[in-house]
Amino acid sequence: MKRNMSKNMGILGAVLLGLIIILAVAGPALVPYNPTEQSGLPLQAPGGQHLLGTNDMGQDIMAELVEGARISLTIGIVSAFIATLIGTVLGLISGYGLGWLDALIMRVVDVSMTLPFLPLMIVVGVYMGPSLFTQIAVITLVMWAGKAREIRSQVLSLRSRGPVLAARSMGAGHLYVLRKHVFPSVVPLMIPQFVRAVNTSIMLESSLSFLGLGDPLSKSWGSILFYANARSAFLTDAWLWWVLPPGLCIVVTVLAFSFIGYWLEERVSPRLRAYTGAFSKLASGRFGKTKKPNPIAVRQPDGASAEVLRVEGLSVQFPQPAGTVRAVEAVSFTLRRGEVLGIVGESGSGKTTIAAAVMQLLKPPAEISGSICFDGKNLAQLSPVEMNELRGSRIALIPQAAMNALNPVMTIKSQLAEAMVSHRSIGKAEVLQRVSEVLGQVGLDPKWGDAYPHELSGGMKQRVVIAMALINGPDLIIADEPTTGLDVLVQTEIIKLLDDLQQRLGLAMIFISHDLPVVLRLADRILIMKQGEMVDEVTAEALTASTVHPYTRRLMDSIPRLRAKKAASVSSLTEAEAGGGSYVRI
Amino acid sequence: MGNNPSSGRGISRFLSGRFGRKLIQYALVLFIALTINFALPRLAPGDPLMYFMGQEVNTLTPEQRDRMNRELGLEGSVWEQYGDFMKGAVSLQLGSSTKYGKPVTEVLRERIPWTLLLVVPAFVISPLLGIIGGAYAAWNRGKRRDVLLLAGVLALESTPGFWVGMLLIAVFAVRLGWLPSYGAVPLVHSDDFSYYIEMVRHLILPVSTITIVTVGTSFLLTRSSMLDTLGQDYIYMAEAKGVSRRRLIYRHALRNALLPVYTHVTMSLGVLLSGAVVVETVFSYPGLGRLLYESVVARDYPMMQGVFLMITIGVIAANLLADLTYPLVDPRARSRKQVKEAV
Repeated sequence: MKRNMSKNMGILGAVLLGLIIILAVAGPALVPYNPTEQSGLPLQAPGGQHLLGTNDMGQDIMAELVEGARISLTIGIVSAFIATLIGTVLGLISGYGLGWLDALIMRVVDVSMTLPFLPLMIVVGVYMGPSLFTQIAVITLVMWAGKAREIRSQVLSLRSRGPVLAARSMGAGHLYVLRKHVFPSVVPLMIPQFVRAVNTSIMLESSLSFLGLGDPLSKSWGSILFYANARSAFLTDAWLWWVLPPGLCIVVTVLAFSFIGYWLEERVSPRLRAYTGAFSKLASGRFGKTKKPNPIAVRQPDGASAEVLRVEGLSVQFPQPAGTVRAVEAVSFTLRRGEVLGIVGESGSGKTTIAAAVMQLLKPPAEISGSICFDGKNLAQLSPVEMNELRGSRIALIPQAAMNALNPVMTIKSQLAEAMVSHRSIGKAEVLQRVSEVLGQVGLDPKWGDAYPHELSGGMKQRVVIAMALINGPDLIIADEPTTGLDVLVQTEIIKLLDDLQQRLGLAMIFISHDLPVVLRLADRILIMKQGEMVDEVTAEALTASTVHPYTRRLMDSIPRLRAKKAASVSSLTEAEAGGGSYVRI
Repeated sequence: MGNNPSSGRGISRFLSGRFGRKLIQYALVLFIALTINFALPRLAPGDPLMYFMGQEVNTLTPEQRDRMNRELGLEGSVWEQYGDFMKGAVSLQLGSSTKYGKPVTEVLRERIPWTLLLVVPAFVISPLLGIIGGAYAAWNRGKRRDVLLLAGVLALESTPGFWVGMLLIAVFAVRLGWLPSYGAVPLVHSDDFSYYIEMVRHLILPVSTITIVTVGTSFLLTRSSMLDTLGQDYIYMAEAKGVSRRRLIYRHALRNALLPVYTHVTMSLGVLLSGAVVVETVFSYPGLGRLLYESVVARDYPMMQGVFLMITIGVIAANLLADLTYPLVDPRARSRKQVKEAV
């Protein structure tokens, strides 16, 4: 949808620009007057003879607009072209060049971007004397620096990409890399830069001309407005045909270029393109047609009284232009008090989506079916407010990316306190006491409460996030790959901590991971996921002994064992070098 | 900042830090601006003396000419002239205006308050509207109201300020006769109170013009920053924590989204000063911008350069303000020492 919008903008921009170009090119043939000669009475209203009336000198406004289009477009395009060219050359040299050269160029860029551009153009322009050349020169003067900076940052990001690094490491010369890899990638980036530069330079030109610094011999749209303003056109009705049209021409032209620029930029910029895949994090499952629900029978628990969570036939899909992505399909499981359910599967197997579905945190394009009952209540039937009351209070989440799960501008203490006061009204002292207590529980000195997230190490942040999940004494904790991004030693510590807390507090927990050995250590029962489907559900004991499903068997067999007992830590260690082995890191 | 500037090592460490580098950059900008002022009259075609004295120069006898050249620092080697010029600039001797027949600094001092009166309200109103609109659009991303707002803002961004001003005058001042279109205060005024009322009335149209043409930037910036922030993990975490929607939007999302906007807005004070050139010209408002325009028309070179320098100083001051106050809004930018104390 986003894509379509930008494409429509591009088309609209092209149409508008086309109109202006027709005005500039075919105009003289259509308007029978010379813009510099009197061809009618002064301030004649629009009518048959003069389509847009005349100005105070009796010159035809339509003819002036035509000439203005030629001047404005010429200045805009020429100065944008020169500025983009200079900017690209300097940006390439700077982004690809030596350290000191880069530093020098960037210093100059910084300085010229700090100078106030309009006064600078005016002062330089006045000394150079008003002319077409002056305008192009001063507009280029204030625009090249910004272009150089943007091209440089793009070159820098190109430099660190695969092909360039590969070529360099194979001993390719700088010139070769520039010609073969950098230049072909920079050229498409130059085009939107150029389009946006045209846009800016037309604006600058109109301001300069409006201040009387335009070429006195040929009037641009800005110059028309300069004369209109100097002769107080708005005191009479003449503003309707003397002030309105040239301004509209500027707006239409600039808008056309900015639409086209927006569209082009979205086409070439990888950063923006990645944006369309915003849901990839949750929906990295496969594309395809509907499959029959998985035949695995739902195993009924014997004692339903202690049941905390019951998920039945849960399916989640993300409709996308290229076809519906089925992230989770027909998943069912139950969880009792004090029990740990492990969910294991490779990335994209729908584990995180299950967590988000239980938390009712999936966002609109996601379609959910099946039922999720927590403590006997169907979560889908709760109002947003009721659900919000459960979230964080009775069902807590330890999210996947603890590194970024804390708000950078709030202290640890206030974020922990927030989790409490969002659910009940209690006194400040009580909150602070509980915050200290829970920080202690996860093995952090309570003094860290005053720190900001950026002052904590990854492991400490993870502990804070766990504390946050514990703070309201929840019935159910969903730990979604809580050790991602932590180094091996810290991983082991965190797992131990979770294990401890779970046993001490008798929590029901869903533990999601791609690391089967770790799950084996914590979980009572394990759910094996593959491409959004549940392929197996087994107890931890059964899994270590013998397994039914071949996929599960393969997972088990892929755990490298030096000594069977130490499987957990060993597998974590081998993760880094396991790029080749297909199932070691699931 | 945490370092002790009295020790030599402290200074070098300070100058190589983020803030120190900025300071060097601003000093460099000021130096370049002065150099431009020095170089232009000497490089431009024709007699440099003409740029200092205006057309009067043709009536001078050769002896008077020599004396003037000496007085204006146009004698001796370029380097001597340059040194003298810089010395003069440091002690705020910017020459005298050929149009007003007064020292440049004196004219500047008269005009600055008027420009501030115009720019400061716009500086408050425009970002406020932009931020509210941008956050609203981001929250409603992809919906019709978001698209409409975005299209409207892009159109505003494409509109030249002087044209907006002219239209506002044509409609509100001339057609409807609601508001004055010219100057900052009425030519004749009675008692004190109505004088201030009139002053405010004179401000409405120019401030609206500046607001209309600058609101787009903070809107677009807030919108994209907010969209970025809404995708962050800590927003998801806050939601999972069960915080209320209001708190989620304001305390978590907007608070963080505003960090880049804050820098932009503070620095825009300098941009507004330049922008005032065009708007003050349309409304004949007696500020710095109008002064620049008048000196261009009268080819009053010393005055023109003085305004250029003044606006450069304004831009630098705005940037400094942004750099100095940023740590107040972003704990990550605070110095490590304070952090250690806090922990």
